[in-house]
Amino acid sequence: MNILKLFYRNLTQGPSTVAFPFGPAWTPPKLRGRIRFDLPACTGCRACEQVCAPGAIRFDKTPEGLRFMMWHNSCVFCGLCNFYCPTDAIVQSDDWHLAHPTARMYEMAIRELIPYTACSACGTKTLASAPNPVGVEPPFSAEEIEQFRHLCPGCRKKALEERTPNHAPTE
Amino acid sequence: MSNFTIPVGPLHVALEEPMYFRLDVQGETIAHVDIHAGHVHRGIEYLVTKRNVFQNVVLTERVCSLCSNSHPQAYAMAIERIAGIVVPPRAQYLRAVADEVKRVASHLFNVAILAHLVGFDALFMHVMEVRERMQDVKESVFGNRMDIGANAIGGVRYDIDAQGIGYLNQQLDAIDAEVVEIIDLYRTNGSILGRTRGIGVLPHADAVDCGVVGPVARAAGIDYDLRVKAPYTAYDRLDVTVHTLPDGDVWSRAMIRLYEARTAIGLIRQCLRDLPDGPTIDSRERPSIPAGEAIARCEAPRGELIYYVRMGDSPKPERVKWRVPSFMNWDALRIMLKEAKIADIAIIVNSIDPCISCTER
Ligand code: SF4
Ligand code: SF4
Repeated sequence: MNILKLFYRNLTQGPSTVAFPFGPAWTPPKLRGRIRFDLPACTGCRACEQVCAPGAIRFDKTPEGLRFMMWHNSCVFCGLCNFYCPTDAIVQSDDWHLAHPTARMYEMAIRELIPYTACSACGTKTLASAPNPVGVEPPFSAEEIEQFRHLCPGCRKKALEERTPNHAPTE
Repeated sequence: MSNFTIPVGPLHVALEEPMYFRLDVQGETIAHVDIHAGHVHRGIEYLVTKRNVFQNVVLTERVCSLCSNSHPQAYAMAIERIAGIVVPPRAQYLRAVADEVKRVASHLFNVAILAHLVGFDALFMHVMEVRERMQDVKESVFGNRMDIGANAIGGVRYDIDAQGIGYLNQQLDAIDAEVVEIIDLYRTNGSILGRTRGIGVLPHADAVDCGVVGPVARAAGIDYDLRVKAPYTAYDRLDVTVHTLPDGDVWSRAMIRLYEARTAIGLIRQCLRDLPDGPTIDSRERPSIPAGEAIARCEAPRGELIYYVRMGDSPKPERVKWRVPSFMNWDALRIMLKEAKIADIAIIVNSIDPCISCTER
């Protein structure tokens, strides 16, 4: 092909660039951007924390409960947290507008708390986290999730066995 | 004619990567080359031993931007070998798709830079515009323009539905048509030919001696491609054409990359056509990795990439070591640069598609 033909084609087709920031920039729906966290869905399993390579996610035990912290400025948008989260409590949105003045640096974080509660069955102090859905058949209903949230690990196990009697291992 | 010793690099306007050459020149001609390394050492091999198996999928992806899919893939293959994990067939095909998408983008990038170094910036911008379509593919299918995050231990993290396959095929058709035109341009354009034919020659015998890999080897007539010699993922079920050229000059290396870009497009089409159904990963639960060691290899855009992983009792690897293609190829620069003109240094260095960030990690 002749390079002049290419010039002519480019001339007739117009520019390939977009006018951002003066116009909208194309964003594919699957873009892996800013992390979003859905506290009620979190089981507190800390899988996301363990797979996060830059250490952008941190859980801390506080007197009030399990504190979740996620720093957008440390995140490398790898999506591993999203991939290994059993409940999609942590997902990546297609929002890539993360530029911000340095003064707002400390606002670029997600701070949430999974509070302690008293087990509704035995009264033990326990985390009000969502139940782990892995291997649960049929899946939890919304009411069941709320019911399990207020149970301690031991009572959850019992309730799960009662829920699916044939779920317990048979010898 | 007077003799000088001149430094080129590590920071130099014409070099894309921080390499340092100490050149003894006689007038315009290079008499002797010294290559000094170590300017972008980041200690990643050490960092890998400070992170667990899963975090390292992300860390290894950041060793190199253009081969960013090959590193986690070789790493994952080594871990899978240690743990005896079998990657599901659909994931094997999807791994090949990711590999080839990256190969097209990487090869077009290098060929574009060649046009820029020749001083033909209109062509540079055109090739980059074509490559931009592949960047759109990466963004749309994988969610990121460079670190596509395709791999996980035991499989892949992405999937393509019918709509995605349609979109990919449509983009591939467009890119393929453009690459055909680009090949024609590089084959006939006087400015390109004048600056690349017979420049930076690596004769076949020297190529064998240096153990060069990838397009550098194939442009010197060495028929060596890991996708054929030791197929991994789905390559044993795909029809891979290996291109070779006899001359070993800058032009041959560029042409090999362009031919391989077309072959890669063909391979993606084959994968999308034959894509089996089924799971895309062995298990969504994180598998436990026993102690052990393994080696895995794959054909990165720049050539054969080798990973060695040793796991102990801890979830963090005891040792991860990689042999990157540029390490084999940059030694050959001594031969390519010998008797070359100073003005051709940048073109010759670029022709091995050096990746210093992974060589010095
Ligand atoms: S996307 Fe990656 S880096 Fe960001 S929070 Fe999740 S695991 Fe961490
Ligand atoms: S449920 Fe998801 S968000 Fe919550 S700790 Fe586990 S992985 Fe993290």
